[in-house]
Amino acid sequence: MARYGMVIDLHKCTGCGACGLGCKTENNTDDRADGQTHNWADYRSVMSGTFPDVKFEMLPVLCNHCTDAPCVAACPVTPKAMHKNAKGITMHNSDRCIGCRMCQNSCPYSSTEIKDGSNDYSVISFNDFGKVVHARYQDQTEVIKGCTTSGAEIAKKAGMTPPHATSYEHPDYKSVRPDGVVEKCILCDHRLDNGQQPYCTTVCPSEARVAGDLDDPNSQASKLLKQYGGRRLKNNKGEFLGTSEKGAGPNVYYIRAYSARK
Amino acid sequence: MRLTRRSFIKASAATGGAMLAAGCAASKPATSAMGKTEKAKGEAAGKWMASTCQGCTTWCPIEIFVQNGRAVKVRGNQLSKANDGYCCVRGHLILQQIYDPDRIKTPMKRTNPKKGRGIDPKFVPISWDEATDTIADKLMELRKNNETNKYMLLRGRYSDQNGILYGDYTKMLGSPNNISHSSICAEVEKMGAYYTEGYFGYRDYDLDNMKYLIVWACDPLSSNRQIPNAIRRTNKVLENGTVVAIDPRMSNTAAKAHEWLPVKPATDGAVATAMAHYILVNGLWSKEFCGDFKDGKNRFVKGQSVNEADFDEKLTNGLVKWWNLVLKDTDPAWAAREAGIDKAQIERVARGFAQAAPNCAVWYGPNMQPRGTYAVMAMHALNGLVGATDSEGGLCTGMGAPSSSYPKIDDFQDPIAKAGTKNKKIDQRGYLNMPALKEGKSGGGVVTNNVPNAILASDPYDIKVAIGYFCNFNFSGTEGARWDKALAKLPFFAHIVPMFSEMTYFADIVLPSSLHHSEQWSSVRSKANLHGHVSIQQPVIDRMFDVRAPETEFVWMLSEKLAAKGFDNPLNWLKSFKDPETGKAPTTAEEFGLYAVKIRTQKAWDPAMNKDYKGDRPSSWTDFISKGIVNSPKFTFRKKWADGFKTETKKFEFYSVTLKKALEKHAEKHNTTVDKVLEVTNYEARGELAFVPHYEAPRRHGSRTAYPFDLIDMKSRLNREGRSANNTWLYSFKQCDPGDVNEQDVVQINPADARKLGIKDGDMVKVTSTIGSLKVKARLWEGVRPGCVAKCYGQGHHAMGRVAAKDITRAIARGANFNEIMPDDYDRLSGSTARNGGFTGVRVEKA
Repeated sequence: MARYGMVIDLHKCTGCGACGLGCKTENNTDDRADGQTHNWADYRSVMSGTFPDVKFEMLPVLCNHCTDAPCVAACPVTPKAMHKNAKGITMHNSDRCIGCRMCQNSCPYSSTEIKDGSNDYSVISFNDFGKVVHARYQDQTEVIKGCTTSGAEIAKKAGMTPPHATSYEHPDYKSVRPDGVVEKCILCDHRLDNGQQPYCTTVCPSEARVAGDLDDPNSQASKLLKQYGGRRLKNNKGEFLGTSEKGAGPNVYYIRAYSARK
Repeated sequence: MRLTRRSFIKASAATGGAMLAAGCAASKPATSAMGKTEKAKGEAAGKWMASTCQGCTTWCPIEIFVQNGRAVKVRGNQLSKANDGYCCVRGHLILQQIYDPDRIKTPMKRTNPKKGRGIDPKFVPISWDEATDTIADKLMELRKNNETNKYMLLRGRYSDQNGILYGDYTKMLGSPNNISHSSICAEVEKMGAYYTEGYFGYRDYDLDNMKYLIVWACDPLSSNRQIPNAIRRTNKVLENGTVVAIDPRMSNTAAKAHEWLPVKPATDGAVATAMAHYILVNGLWSKEFCGDFKDGKNRFVKGQSVNEADFDEKLTNGLVKWWNLVLKDTDPAWAAREAGIDKAQIERVARGFAQAAPNCAVWYGPNMQPRGTYAVMAMHALNGLVGATDSEGGLCTGMGAPSSSYPKIDDFQDPIAKAGTKNKKIDQRGYLNMPALKEGKSGGGVVTNNVPNAILASDPYDIKVAIGYFCNFNFSGTEGARWDKALAKLPFFAHIVPMFSEMTYFADIVLPSSLHHSEQWSSVRSKANLHGHVSIQQPVIDRMFDVRAPETEFVWMLSEKLAAKGFDNPLNWLKSFKDPETGKAPTTAEEFGLYAVKIRTQKAWDPAMNKDYKGDRPSSWTDFISKGIVNSPKFTFRKKWADGFKTETKKFEFYSVTLKKALEKHAEKHNTTVDKVLEVTNYEARGELAFVPHYEAPRRHGSRTAYPFDLIDMKSRLNREGRSANNTWLYSFKQCDPGDVNEQDVVQINPADARKLGIKDGDMVKVTSTIGSLKVKARLWEGVRPGCVAKCYGQGHHAMGRVAAKDITRAIARGANFNEIMPDDYDRLSGSTARNGGFTGVRVEKA
């Protein structure tokens, strides 16, 4: 089995938001609601020091596709909805998912509820039972009656909800997920097999992200790790694993420093 | 963990009731299960189609991925040398702009004659026919009454087709009043390069070969004005050299930079002149560019004047004059006190910058502050002092791109129209107190934000009919309440826009605009990374509603109506726009829209015209459209060093003879002195000081006692020129503007200041300036200089749509638009609206 992961070069990253938003356009995730971000690619900013000696680091975050994934261990269905696939990706099968959220509860990088007014993130989000997915495109209200459109009308005209949804096929997941299931980054497995990188990686204007098999010493990702060493996140608070800590075996590595200041 | 009853039932069904047991079992991760029968995998078929993003001023060539007639993804144009095939975050927001649930879908007219913020206009849908007929009637009435000058065209975001509606058409209708948005945007910064080296435009940078980059009062990683290129190449300078950011708040560049100089707002001129002082005293200036003392002995000693005759100046003018008038006294210790930063840091940066020369640059930004002209002159003078301007590894004026002319209007402008255009322009440019010295000409530049003052005062006259497109000055102009009043006074206003904005509130007729990036034909020219480009915009999707391109199709439709009423000059002019391929005259609005673009770009794509061009040469119109772009060849450095600069002296002017001449001409026009001009325009300089880059103390509205904080206006990297506030994705990642909070609108305040005021993170606070108060959430943030508060522009809409506004029907805003509390003021030498430099003093209290 391969061990697919990602290497993110913080020296190149400018915290611009393109990976986060690019992912939303590729994977058609919903708007934030009910304490769920629905951002498969997101950010954790870390600020330290006091003015003027402050340091700001922006960490692009996503599912860490852990080797010992607690979310997989926690998945109660048989066969498991959350599972490791042949590439080592922590894959989620939305048909088998029962929406129990045990994965979300067990993941060190997830929270069951993200508070309003915080910049916290959660790798796994949950589409609640009975939730209207992409509700804004099902709303028939016209702000100026007869003059402005509505979400429902524009989705109907475009022929899809959401109207900008990228259509793709994958045996395990759908391009738009229904209610009653969790969802998270699947490393764009539907792209990898076609020789493409995950979309967050493809759209990164500074080419700071490289996905690949970390067990293959010839992969670009492995080479970068060999050159620079890397840090891995311990949780979703922006803390990193110590050198002797293994955690759940996260496979997203951060190389170099975001800020040039010492 | 939350477990609903339904999830428990679903779980029980799937696991035979053994959910809890299974959940606890430390089973090994299962390798895929279902994968026996392979289902299809991958993206559904689609096509990448070329277009151009105008979400900021970069004007990035892009491609939009279209699946089954829907726009689903955006990327940079793979052939672009300006962005290497990458767009910034704004590009992706295009999708939500196209599919915005609150887009205007039909022409509409106001049925409530009463106009004002919060007063329901009672719009009802009408046909394009009725809408254009009404506008034509209004224009014909002006002609009948011989007052065609009382027509005004307001331009916001535009394409390379703007020369039709904004340019020639206004003249053909008989009005001088084509008013652009330019001076609420960034005109001050052009003064820096113009009054030193004769270039009124934005600079380009050779980041691949740069060793020292000073980013000053801007944030190229997020805005202004080649963002993907800055994102891609700033890290090269970070790796190969040094990056410095000078800004009172920690911008994106400041977060990454080797050095951050968090100066007090509007003290930049002090730091710039101190750096120049240090460079001269330490003999670090470019001898090749500026020259040297005849005997090679450096006489630049602090406090001591130098004899001009001792210096043999080369490609610059007035270095010694500048020293004697300003620099001899502007040492780093003084600037450090003035700017509230470390003296050693100023010296270190000055030294590093000069030692890297000419592979270095000061990349400065808008500097829209009341005395900004002299600050940007000082910043740009540094680029001259070390010989970085027009040098490899430094900065330059950049490349243009091919464009062809439209048919001339001479035969179509009748005597009424000719007479009408001879009137003064409405914006009071060139008045004694508003020199607006664009390109050396008194009244040469637009004074956008002064239009409401002029309308309200009926000075020089009143405006009776106005058309605006892709603009929202009531929101984007400072002290926007003036626009509310002026537009309420305006008898007839037609607005061509995709969304119902604050300005649309005051319209009599509203016309739904197509979106430039995806629903119409147009073209734009821009530059970055040492290449210029002309880039196409095309209908990548079918229009979902009867929307029209403002700069072309609307013009045709209006012209048909004018012709039907006996005024056929405009339509006859438009009919002379013949398809360059077939020679056919347009017969419909759509054909006209297409031909106008083909004509404008002909030099780029017609093999007969581009055969000697050194850049890209498409083989036909079709080839051009499929590629979407023509890149210019790379910029050639040092031509200006060889051929001379476009200044009065043909030299790089530290003593600006060009500015002296412009100011003297303006003073002469008003029978007064240059000193008097400077007095009424609120500058401190008198005498010779007016002609050299120097520091002027910050001009500020409100006393420090009553309004202790300096307000910093910052821009969002998610802001599509003020048009993304109704897009949920802006809020999803608002924290990408450092210090801001997802889903919220906040004012950033330093924790030390907040503590003194008893303000906690997330508290609602009232922020008060001399002209008003706004309530907004406080965000405690170490990245803002104590004594300053920073607020991002973009939210605080009471119109736009259901996401942007809290309650659109009752005109209640979501968040706060701080333009409302920024007083109406200007850098009058350029006519630019003040919004930077902490010119607004504010008081902050817990709400």
